[in-house]
Amino acid sequence: MLQAHSLLWHYLWVAPNVFLLVLAWLLWRRGLHKRFPFFVAFAIVGAVEQLVVYAADLIPSVAPGTWWLIFWAGLVAEGLLKFALVGEIFAHIFDRYRSLAKIGKFMIRGVGVALVLAAAIAAAYTPRDGLFGIVSGAHLLEQTIYLIEAGLLVFIFALSTYFRLSLMRPLFGIALGLSISACVHLATWAFLANGGLANSTRTLLDLLNMAIYHLCVLIWFYYLLVPEKTTKPPVQPQDPPAGHQENLDAWNREVERLVQQ
Amino acid sequence: MTLAIILVIAAALALIFILGVTFSRSLQISSGAGLAAQIQPIDVEAFRNLIDPAGDDYLRRRLPASEFRLVQRQRLRAMAAYVQTAGRNAAVLVLMGQGALTSPDAQTADAARRLVDNALLLRRNAAFALIRIYVALAWPNSGLAATPILHSYEHSYEQLNGSAMLLGRLQNPAVPVRISAAL
Repeated sequence: MLQAHSLLWHYLWVAPNVFLLVLAWLLWRRGLHKRFPFFVAFAIVGAVEQLVVYAADLIPSVAPGTWWLIFWAGLVAEGLLKFALVGEIFAHIFDRYRSLAKIGKFMIRGVGVALVLAAAIAAAYTPRDGLFGIVSGAHLLEQTIYLIEAGLLVFIFALSTYFRLSLMRPLFGIALGLSISACVHLATWAFLANGGLANSTRTLLDLLNMAIYHLCVLIWFYYLLVPEKTTKPPVQPQDPPAGHQENLDAWNREVERLVQQ
Repeated sequence: MTLAIILVIAAALALIFILGVTFSRSLQISSGAGLAAQIQPIDVEAFRNLIDPAGDDYLRRRLPASEFRLVQRQRLRAMAAYVQTAGRNAAVLVLMGQGALTSPDAQTADAARRLVDNALLLRRNAAFALIRIYVALAWPNSGLAATPILHSYEHSYEQLNGSAMLLGRLQNPAVPVRISAAL
């Protein structure tokens, strides 16, 4: 069951990507591709890329070297789209508020540079694991991408939590799924890139990655397609009572006096 | 392998933090009603007196250096307490304002937008002011580098008070929202 090419392995590789394509189609139909263009692009490109890699794995005529080249191409495309998606999440949260837009951009650029440096240092200290360069290089690139992605997402969550900014439900779902996926993948790829692990352990980590990705796709389904429970509409404005208006006027006079001092 | 362990621990901590945020978000949604009660009114006049540079100069002239440092540290701690409270109030007002951003009434939505922007500005300034106050705590003789930011911060608080009262009036005229204790 927990082996490469078992039924579970086939299911976990194919199903989440098929679901992701269905999700992209449903989002497109609902017009959400205009609000989240990079997420829809990520869903389509990521799913197609994984299905191509899966097909290449099954076709006997595809040589191992070719398979790894396909894997590399997909990895680079998916990595770029993920960073664009992180930028999209950030813009949705912070660009709405003029008091945070500028400083937020400045801070995330700083954090991004720091994470790139940290990822470069981690890559430099990662030992060669005796595999072919194209294989260990891919592991290293995965570790680098997930380190930067997880760091940026944690920063976005931390900043929005500090400022008590409530994320729109679909945006929160996208960020949550992406973060869970990034954190778990970072941990597993760190082991794969640094470990010198046995093949059975590698397969188990692969299965864990695929299962978590499946969970994240379900999270995206839930947050993007299931509507939030409606809350009571806010009270409509009425004529304020005279006493309260006087209080406001007195307060305004006092503020003017304080400011002019 | 050490690097792998470090990265795994970092990833686990990040995951715990994100799941914690998710959990607190669901709690926040379910307990959004009593937000106004969380606001602690601040005496802006007392705060203004505390950050008055003339007070610093007077104490510096009148007190021996060691005693001045002691008194100045106490004043800085008091400032920090004010700024922390104001920052917390700003956070509550961000939540209240965001709740009204989607109001069908244009005037309410506009007031909410202004309130959220002012509250975010104040929360941001409060963070910077706190950093500078803590730096000044280490060097009380430095003349409080935080003074300019504290003055702009005090002004932000006044603006925020106005925005909060306006939104509170529009949403519920019977229940005033007040974040200053000056009146």
